[in-house]
Amino acid sequence: MQEVKNQKVLLDGSRIIIESLVQSGAQAFVGYPITPANLLYAYSKQRFPIFLPASDEITALQWVTGISAAGKLPVTATSFPGFALMIETLNMAYMMELPMVIVLVQRLGPSTGSATAGAQGDVLMLRSCISGGYPIPVFCPSNFKDCWDLSALSLKTANELRTPVVLLTSKEMVMTNRSFNLNDLSSISPVIRKYYDGHDPYKPYQAAGNLVPPFVSLGSDDYLVRLNSSTHNQLGVIQKATPEAMANTKRLKQKIDYYMFKPDNIKYEYDKDDGADKIIVTYGISSEASRTATLLLRNEEEKISLLVIKSLLPVSSEIMNIQKKYKHIIFVEENLTGQMKELMYGQFADSKIRSINHIGQMITPNEIVKEVVSCR
Amino acid sequence: MGLGPNDVIIVSDIGCCGLVDPLINSHSIHGLHGRSTALAMGIALGLDNPDKKVIAIQGDGGATIGLQHLLEASRQNISMTLLVQNNQVYGMTGGQISGTSTRLFKAIKFPEESEVPPYNLCDIAYSAGAAFSARVIPRGDFSDKLVEAINEPGFSFVEAHIICPSYGYKKVNELELLPFREETLKTQRLPHVIHKKDTPSLFDSIPKVETFFESNLKSRTELIIGSSAGAGAQLAADLLTFAGIMCGLNATKKGEYPITVGTGHSVAEVILSDEAINFTGIESPDVVIITSQDGLDKVKDRIDDSTRVILDSSLDLDIGREIHHVSFNKKAGKNGAVLAAIAYWIIQSGLLPLEALREAARNHKHANKLIIAIDSIAE
Repeated sequence: MQEVKNQKVLLDGSRIIIESLVQSGAQAFVGYPITPANLLYAYSKQRFPIFLPASDEITALQWVTGISAAGKLPVTATSFPGFALMIETLNMAYMMELPMVIVLVQRLGPSTGSATAGAQGDVLMLRSCISGGYPIPVFCPSNFKDCWDLSALSLKTANELRTPVVLLTSKEMVMTNRSFNLNDLSSISPVIRKYYDGHDPYKPYQAAGNLVPPFVSLGSDDYLVRLNSSTHNQLGVIQKATPEAMANTKRLKQKIDYYMFKPDNIKYEYDKDDGADKIIVTYGISSEASRTATLLLRNEEEKISLLVIKSLLPVSSEIMNIQKKYKHIIFVEENLTGQMKELMYGQFADSKIRSINHIGQMITPNEIVKEVVSCR
Repeated sequence: MGLGPNDVIIVSDIGCCGLVDPLINSHSIHGLHGRSTALAMGIALGLDNPDKKVIAIQGDGGATIGLQHLLEASRQNISMTLLVQNNQVYGMTGGQISGTSTRLFKAIKFPEESEVPPYNLCDIAYSAGAAFSARVIPRGDFSDKLVEAINEPGFSFVEAHIICPSYGYKKVNELELLPFREETLKTQRLPHVIHKKDTPSLFDSIPKVETFFESNLKSRTELIIGSSAGAGAQLAADLLTFAGIMCGLNATKKGEYPITVGTGHSVAEVILSDEAINFTGIESPDVVIITSQDGLDKVKDRIDDSTRVILDSSLDLDIGREIHHVSFNKKAGKNGAVLAAIAYWIIQSGLLPLEALREAARNHKHANKLIIAIDSIAE
């Protein structure tokens, strides 16, 4: 039997995310440094085959888009102030249908807020950042293993859907050091890129059965490629609201829903306690406190289930259906208003929907325990 | 020029010039207002074949929205061409003045602005480092100048002063009123080159920690360390964390300091546990170690009734019960005080062997100094 090599290390989530993206086939990183995403920038400088420092965040995402159009899989990392500058370009890349991964490290807002304080305040912004309310896939790691798996899944999803994907995390995940056994990470297969190779002239926005158009790089020697940020037909030529152009625009939502709602692509952790009528619903950096709280509650003979959402957006019916089985739903998220709760149940949610929220500090296991126990 | 349709990528902006894509039998990409230069740079940086010609086309509105991109393309001398079709007005929105409107033009349209000069885009590109910058005032075919620009290795910029039949100068002979003349400016520079590299895994360069020691730690133990920037608090906390892992424990460590690095407090939080650590926050610290006034001010409010407090003897704090007052700064110096205090806690608590901390320090490039700090207490 082969001896297993010791792989116990002390590391942060940033290192895992960048290593996973590169092993998955990401080829270029473009970035502008911003706290708390600086470690992602630093590791990318070490690890990416191509690393490009941009002069600002608008330039960064424009370069990312250009690099993607030219046929490479690019990545950037930022925090809200940088992401705000990127939003128009993100809409452009979404409309052009170009794959990329944006790692968004949440910090305390509004505005420049506190650069070194974590937060989970950007969920509703991500839900609505594409004009018209179109969805973008958002994955949200809850621990180091997720940093590994969901980074790879983000790149795979971006490639297969021809779309920008956001990996949503927070300061605590990317900057806190933890002891960790690298043997706990599974091996990653690089994404497989597929290209159009038909006899007919290429139509950049003529979708296949999966609603995703096959890809050809801008600059191809074999086909002419027309990409367009404005409303366009299947050839990529600008149009007003023609039936063909409207069908193409509607397809942007349809292709994402079709892929993201396949059972295999809905990622979550459901720790079901038989007989429980209460469930904690959480994601990202509040997950670890929720796991600890769940253990503490069960030690006290309190029945409690836990749902950690990892495919954060678009919200799937499967995630909603799990919650329907419970009398009391307790959301745990580090923001002022309970953004995921609001997204799922509206601003005036039923009293059975509770929410534990903080800004400027992590939610602790004891706070969660207290709230759950008080649910009667 | 010997170029085929597949050799050219047209990158168009917003505005009248943005309708150019379907008129040209080549690759095309139509982006945002003012960003075509940035997008074209990205394409040029992403292409594997340097013989492809990337040509961005924008108007004067796009040129001023994206002025930073003109500077960046020039500064980096990225192999692409930018053609600005400057008609001095925003033609699609009703003929408003632009950043390139001349004083004479504005004297009629917007006299309040007539003393403000227009941007000299050609000079801006040249002074930012563009290999080729030209201004043309075309009265007909100016394709020779475009060919010269497109053939230039590096960044080439052409500003063509043109007429807007609806709102701007409407006749060719009105272009005689421009304050600029035709010019071509060149800089001898090598074009920007992409450096691709093969890189090892990020996991290769981090130390794999062997379990050499045993600990007496039987429950989750939380420490907060309060010190000042530059006093080695984060390194000392890292060494404690490594020492814990060397004892087979799970460990987390996080640092907190002002955004202006190098000043003020430096706080570290370490958790050691024989069980898995989920939550990495500290609600009720078991131990607080403080070696400076900055650290005291920052962490004193986190001390609760059960916290063991280890304080440098130069600091005052009254919590109504015993405090471990030790002169760490005197014994180990300012840069060794935190590590000495950690060594003190290890000895007092008996939870870890001090040798684990020494072993962690031995792996550091300043091992000798670190071990002297540890031993200043051990003795």
